Amino acid sequence: MESGQHMLRTGRRGTLFEFSMALRDLVTSYHRRGLAWSLAWHDVVSRYRGSILGPFWITISMGLMVLGIGLLYAKLFGISVAEFMPYVAMGIVFFGLMAGTINEGCDTFVQASSMLSQTSLPMFTFIWRTVLRNLINLAHHAVIILGVIIFFGLWRVMDVLPAVGGLLLTIVNLAWISMLAAIASARFRDIPQFVMSVMQFAIFMTPVFWKPDAFPDRHAFLTLNPFYHMLTTIRAPLLGQEADGLSYVILAIMAVLGWALTFSVFAITRRRIVHFL
Amino acid sequence: MTDVSIKVTDLTLRFPVYGVDAKSLKKNLARVTVGGRLGASTTGATEVTALSHLNLNLRAGDRLGLIGHNGSGKTTLLRALSGAYEPDEGQIEVRGRIAALLDLSLGIDPSATGVDNIRLRGRIAGMSSKEIEDKMDEIAEFSGLGPFLAMPMKTYSAGMQARLAFAVATAVEADVLLMDEWISVGDADFQKLAHRRLLNLVERAGILVLSSHDAGLLRLYCNKVMRLEGGVASEVKDIRRLDELLAAA
Ligand SMILES: Nc1ncnc2c1ncn2[C@@H]1O[C@H](COP(=O)(O)OP(=O)(O)OP(=O)(O)O)[C@@H](O)[C@H]1O
Ligand SMILES: [Mg+2]
Repeated sequence: MESGQHMLRTGRRGTLFEFSMALRDLVTSYHRRGLAWSLAWHDVVSRYRGSILGPFWITISMGLMVLGIGLLYAKLFGISVAEFMPYVAMGIVFFGLMAGTINEGCDTFVQASSMLSQTSLPMFTFIWRTVLRNLINLAHHAVIILGVIIFFGLWRVMDVLPAVGGLLLTIVNLAWISMLAAIASARFRDIPQFVMSVMQFAIFMTPVFWKPDAFPDRHAFLTLNPFYHMLTTIRAPLLGQEADGLSYVILAIMAVLGWALTFSVFAITRRRIVHFL
Repeated sequence: MTDVSIKVTDLTLRFPVYGVDAKSLKKNLARVTVGGRLGASTTGATEVTALSHLNLNLRAGDRLGLIGHNGSGKTTLLRALSGAYEPDEGQIEVRGRIAALLDLSLGIDPSATGVDNIRLRGRIAGMSSKEIEDKMDEIAEFSGLGPFLAMPMKTYSAGMQARLAFAVATAVEADVLLMDEWISVGDADFQKLAHRRLLNLVERAGILVLSSHDAGLLRLYCNKVMRLEGGVASEVKDIRRLDELLAAA
């Protein structure tokens, strides 16, 4: 129906109608996925315009952090560098994806306000833009992951498939969190600060820089932390260990419930989002 | 495409205004000529009624001029027609591909070059990458910006920006063109070019909705005119009766 040839906008007609309109927004964003991709790509290019290394600057700073923390903490904790460096490298890179997608989610609609207030572009397009932009960044930082995998010979022990599964589950979850942050931030301007604080807290509460050995398996401190599950399902298989099946299950349940919640919130607030801005 | 049309039935559009106390506004609620109507919604939040119970039917070949005081709802109507605003009541139906030239800076990245901005705007307007590349020469020529297209857009003057925006927006095979005021930005040469393009669009059986405070401009481009006052629309009249509508002010 929304073919670019025919546009229909109507007043409220009940909850079911609002959900069907929200679904239509989602479907249209899929048909116009090329646009989300172009916008994401443009964001990356324009952020680093005039710079020679571009997004690799962040890769370099991450790489230095990996080296520094890897060497220092290995010494402090008395763990071998060969064991600790890849662990920290993957922790930093993948947590970067999580923090980036969620923090930048807060700006998604605010940043797109001029486009939202004069075109009929689907709102989901801008969610995908944020997610894709962070995936493009991840692709740059993957150099670090490749580096440690090759240097420490992890390719002999790693198990790629479960890691890819973990990454996909993580992305699906990050997308709804990012969208929820986008809607909430459009309405309440305190949310971005709040989200940033939470993410800063989370980087220390999640085993990014430290090993969870001090905790017994499935300790509540870890089980209740969604970022732990995201990280461990990607990282453990790449390190040649087995991630707890429970983590995959939790991520899957979280994805379903999270999307149900986010989609409902979107369906109800969709009309108003442009006025929030 | 011959069934290009705009059909607006009983459209009411309210802006919720967040973070303003409705009570503090009460004493200022006396009728003013400027702006929509302020009021409190059922939930107590402040609301501006920008359009109320508006009906409008346009067919291929119609070029409607919108007039009205500042804040009478012209821009709001154009944005609603572009599909950006959802009606609170009523219905908007537009058949045909829409090109909206409401805000010059739409999707414009000031640090990107003119060419990159053409690509970006074209993508937003719904063109595929290939369509854009095919049309690039034509757009570049029409904009008349020549070597400036390789320069960042922050080095452009307002008129140069308008040229680029107009060139891209009208490069889309649009059936419905929505324009807000700004067309007067360009210089005389550009106005002539723009005029030809607009006439071309109308020949292709399109619809134009143009908001302006400039009676001369409206006479030049439009064959119909509608007056908005505090969000309430007059009848659509023939452009020859523009003076009547202006006098009603
Ligand atoms: N984003 C917004 N939030 C709240 N109120 C708004 C918003 N945009 C417009 N309004 C209100 O809606 C009414 C109509 O505004 P609109 O911009 O449509 O006027 P206009 O006819 O285009 O005026 P002008 O001639 O100055 O361009 C005004 O009262 C304005 O205050
Ligand atoms: Mg206006």
